[in-house]
Amino acid sequence: MEEKFDCIIIGAGVAGLAAAMTLARNNMKFLLIEKGEFAGSKNVSGGVLWGHDLAKLVPNYWEEEDTGWERFINHRRLTFMDDEAAFSVDFKSSHFNEPPYSGVVVLRSKFDRWLAGKVQDAIDESDYAMDSFIATNIKVDEVLMEDDKAVGIRTGEEEFHAESVIIAEGVNNLLTRQVGLQDDYVPADHVLTGIKEIIRYDQEVLENRFQLNGKSGMSNEFVGYATDGVEGGGFLYTNKDTISIGLVLGLKDLREKEKSPHDVLNHFKAHPVIADTIRGGEVVEYSAHVVSSGDMQIMPKKLYKDGLLICGEAANLLMNAGKAIQGMDYAMRSGILAAETIVNAREHNDFSSETMKEYRSALDDSYVMKDMRDFQDAVHMLHQPAMYKNVPNLMCGLGKKFFTIDNKPTKKARKLMSEAVKEHSSWWELIKVGIKGAKSL
Amino acid sequence: MSSLLTHIAISDGKVKRASLEVLSRCKELAGQHGHTAEAMIIDPDAAEYVDRIKEYGAEKVYLVEDPIFKNHINIPLLKALNSVITQANPYLVAFASTESTKDILGALAAKQDAAVLSDVSTFSLTDNGVEATRPVMAAKILSDTQAKGDQILVSVRSGSYDLIESPSDPEIITVDFNFEEHELKATLREVLGASGDKIDLSEAETIVAAGRGTKDDKGQALIEELADVLGAAIGASRALTEAGIMDPSLQIGQTGKVVSPQLYIAVGISGAIQHVAGMANSKVIVAINKDPDAPIFDIADYGIVGDLYKVLPPFIEELKKIKN
Amino acid sequence: MKFYVCIKQVPDVNAPIQIKEGQLLQDTDRMILNAYDASAVEEALKLTEDHGGEVEVVSVGPAKTTEAIRKALAMGADKAVHIETDGNRNFDSASYAEILAAFFEDKEYEVISCGKQSQDTDAGLTGGMLAEKLDLPYSTNAVGLDIENDKLIVKRQGDAGQEMIALPAPCLVTCSNDMNEPRIPSLKGIMQSKKKPVETIKLSSIGIDESTLEPQTQVTGYREKPARQAGEKFEGEPDELAKKVANLLDEEANAI
Ligand SMILES: Cc1cc2nc3c(=O)[nH]c(=O)nc-3n(C[C@H](O)[C@H](O)[C@H](O)COP(=O)(O)OP(=O)(O)OC[C@H]3O[C@@H](n4cnc5c(N)ncnc54)[C@H](O)[C@@H]3O)c2cc1C
Ligand SMILES: Cc1cc2nc3c(=O)[nH]c(=O)nc-3n(C[C@H](O)[C@H](O)[C@H](O)COP(=O)(O)OP(=O)(O)OC[C@H]3O[C@@H](n4cnc5c(N)ncnc54)[C@H](O)[C@@H]3O)c2cc1C
Ligand SMILES: Nc1ncnc2c1ncn2[C@@H]1O[C@H](COP(=O)(O)O)[C@@H](O)[C@H]1O
Repeated sequence: MEEKFDCIIIGAGVAGLAAAMTLARNNMKFLLIEKGEFAGSKNVSGGVLWGHDLAKLVPNYWEEEDTGWERFINHRRLTFMDDEAAFSVDFKSSHFNEPPYSGVVVLRSKFDRWLAGKVQDAIDESDYAMDSFIATNIKVDEVLMEDDKAVGIRTGEEEFHAESVIIAEGVNNLLTRQVGLQDDYVPADHVLTGIKEIIRYDQEVLENRFQLNGKSGMSNEFVGYATDGVEGGGFLYTNKDTISIGLVLGLKDLREKEKSPHDVLNHFKAHPVIADTIRGGEVVEYSAHVVSSGDMQIMPKKLYKDGLLICGEAANLLMNAGKAIQGMDYAMRSGILAAETIVNAREHNDFSSETMKEYRSALDDSYVMKDMRDFQDAVHMLHQPAMYKNVPNLMCGLGKKFFTIDNKPTKKARKLMSEAVKEHSSWWELIKVGIKGAKSL
Repeated sequence: MSSLLTHIAISDGKVKRASLEVLSRCKELAGQHGHTAEAMIIDPDAAEYVDRIKEYGAEKVYLVEDPIFKNHINIPLLKALNSVITQANPYLVAFASTESTKDILGALAAKQDAAVLSDVSTFSLTDNGVEATRPVMAAKILSDTQAKGDQILVSVRSGSYDLIESPSDPEIITVDFNFEEHELKATLREVLGASGDKIDLSEAETIVAAGRGTKDDKGQALIEELADVLGAAIGASRALTEAGIMDPSLQIGQTGKVVSPQLYIAVGISGAIQHVAGMANSKVIVAINKDPDAPIFDIADYGIVGDLYKVLPPFIEELKKIKN
Repeated sequence: MKFYVCIKQVPDVNAPIQIKEGQLLQDTDRMILNAYDASAVEEALKLTEDHGGEVEVVSVGPAKTTEAIRKALAMGADKAVHIETDGNRNFDSASYAEILAAFFEDKEYEVISCGKQSQDTDAGLTGGMLAEKLDLPYSTNAVGLDIENDKLIVKRQGDAGQEMIALPAPCLVTCSNDMNEPRIPSLKGIMQSKKKPVETIKLSSIGIDESTLEPQTQVTGYREKPARQAGEKFEGEPDELAKKVANLLDEEANAI
């Protein structure tokens, strides 16, 4: 006999796992399908998972023995670079030390597997212990639609039916396009590539170098020289005994400047300040992956249809407004909201758009869409040369003047500032950026 | 004082070099620890090979002669080994790690209730056993391993030790052996494609290894020509044996053979760890691959980035010139 | 025919590993079904599909071994036995063979099928040991299997050629992954696997006292291999590259 599920979730990334956990906890009969050999196997990304939602999915996760996460963030740094200097805004506070943490660093291949294990536990405790599944190494080829209502999925020759389908396939959202919610053509200037290296150290060396204490960790974002004149930014996160260091770069700009992401990364790592920071480690992994720009223009027109919801980066829910990349937390929240909508639909036995659209409004009311709306300007600003060239140069220029002491009469900071501005930009330019910045952040 | 007994493998009427490597090592250890190095030959014409063994210092040579050993069949071989071991009562029995050895080693250990270490790359004696290194995790790393017991079996990867000549005048002991048809539970029906005249990979000085990149006829022809010029043995990656393009006995790597030639030329091979597991001990490695990032280049002494169809013809021509 | 396939869960050799104070650490403690066992399962499935019969998998290992067992069931095996051991003990092939022999003592079967070796240790011993303990005719390194009446026909990869061997049942065979391409479990297979019977038994129930199981061999530590330095990598005009390297091989490496 062919069984019908309440829901089929496509993709066991952060969004899919969050949705699955929520469904399991609410006694739903569902199928979570992942094309990778195991949850996380296909996932190169990794970085800081911001916010408190993880604690909702896995209460007291910080008490766990075998944790899926690496370190919690209590030290943040934003660095502006020119070709020889780095000017940082540095903030560390013990108020971050109390769980639930406001940010934990994760390595996805580990984190996703761990979370999938938790979901399996939740399934085993649910009424559908024998009828809900996490299936890996299975690629969904098609979402089955009947007069514009999602009724199941096809993988190879096999078809499976469900009241509803949640697409959580990530940024490369082919199925979202198949169901007609995203145009096939996404302009290149809306696509970024993220590249990342994992560098291993002796754990003690790492902890001393970054002043880490126990499970505390640091996140550092970079603007300027980091990207060798290509639009984008850099990041460095401390894991247990490795660091993740990488860049998020504009694809179009890369093409125009004929640079390969890998070269830009090496350029970044060669910067005197970075070179000192990462000295002595051994590169154990290199990976590259597309990241959506977080520009709302490329968000699917709609995030639902009859019996269908789209969450996570498949819906281009991501923000990269300079001070942090937020994609995983958006994915997690949207996955939870999508699943809650399905639970609700099950109760009223109505999986039509009428119920599905609750997901959109829940998302709109959440911090996710609020932020995405409010920080659009910041997102756009990041893509302006002013942001990744002039400003960092100016900051470093000022820094050099301000911190250099060379038996000459010391000038007032105001004067230094105006000198720096003249060299690297213009007051007018700066005022524009300043006003924009003030508005956008 | 006890004895270290080396099994001498015979193939195509020749003593396998790998067995002599093991004998050489045992002789060395016997010297260091005041034991005697002994050897056994199990073959229809075992006696013919004694002279060869003499050069490597065996003090006793046990012979088991019976037509049944013409081909490898595990049950009679086990019986023969058992009778020799019972008679010689050695402390250590050492084998070259051939397919025939792999076929009987576990069963023999269970029969003798002996501790066993298979496929070691080095081994030595301690006061209460044997210490050995074994490549593990697809030969990515080494494990230090110990075996304790009254009797210990080891099988040794070919190329792990050099031959050390030390002529001796061994005592020859013929072990009587009889084998009834009915004991032969299994029946060997036939042996397919025994590579009679082909050069034995595990002993080859030069190997040309072909990978997926060479899978069409043109590629295969180039491989043969290259091997010809160099008088090399031809090996293959799994991609080709799997596809039935090359004889499975030519597979080099974790599933296939372990080789350690002077020169290894990998053509159109990516260098997956399971392949590298079988050839990383080659003296000089040459890689020809069109993908500059292919992992094979990480271990190659000479890497040629390019299309093998363009590189091989001039390469072969140049080698011809050099040869004569 | 009734096939018992002995399957082992092993660390994924492709996952990044590191060595700390002689201990082997796996970044993601990923365990997989030994590739050679997957081939053994695949072949048993094919043969029972054509000739009828049943495939039961047996695995000795700690609680989390269930992952590998599920994989085999998802491929199509009918049922499974999990002989549970204490996760903190390391056993060698001989110990596992002893445990398996105790298990098979009172079992009915035509064929016991093993992998030719464990993917992580390459020991290649358990199968032969088990055959000896159970006094079964056996063959190793099979690259092909077939059934003829009550006989198992084994194509074995020898040193040189391939040996065609007929084994009367009951018998034991160890399988090479050159035998077949193991099927990737279908979604249906994965779902069905959950409902298939898995019997978990304790060592004591087959008359073995774990505390007295003393392996005769022990790993005392792990080491990096003396790394092989990458040499020169030449790019450019094929003709020149070919000439250059050929001559380097002759003069510099004198390997010709
Ligand atoms: C280099 C880099 C660094 C980043 N750093 C950060 C950071 O620091 N903080 C942060 O919050 N975000 C970061 N991000 C972004 C973040 O990784 C993504 O936004 C997040 O992973 C989105 O989660 P998701 O579940 O929507 O999609 P994913 O995590 O991509 O998961 C999608 C899953 O669906 C599976 N799948 C796809 N198609 C199919 C199919 N047809 N059938 C079955 N399965 C399918 C995939 O295999 C994958 O496992 C980074 C991204 C990159 C590339
Ligand atoms: C348990 C296990 C055991 C295994 N045991 C073995 C083993 O014993 N031996 C073994 O070899 N493998 C073994 N494998 C398989 C191994 O993992 C690889 O799949 C296999 O080695 C790949 O062979 P290949 O390099 O020829 O093919 P590929 O990996 O496909 O590489 C082909 C290469 O040829 C290059 N190429 C293609 N065309 C050209 C051209 N025109 N010019 C130049 N270069 C070209 C490509 O760039 C590529 O790098 C095992 C795997 C497992 C899981
Ligand atoms: N713990 C175990 N449980 C089940 N089968 C095993 C176990 N250990 C070894 N085997 C079998 O023996 C083969 C490998 O033997 P070895 O290389 O000696 O470890 C595997 O392919 C299995 O078929």
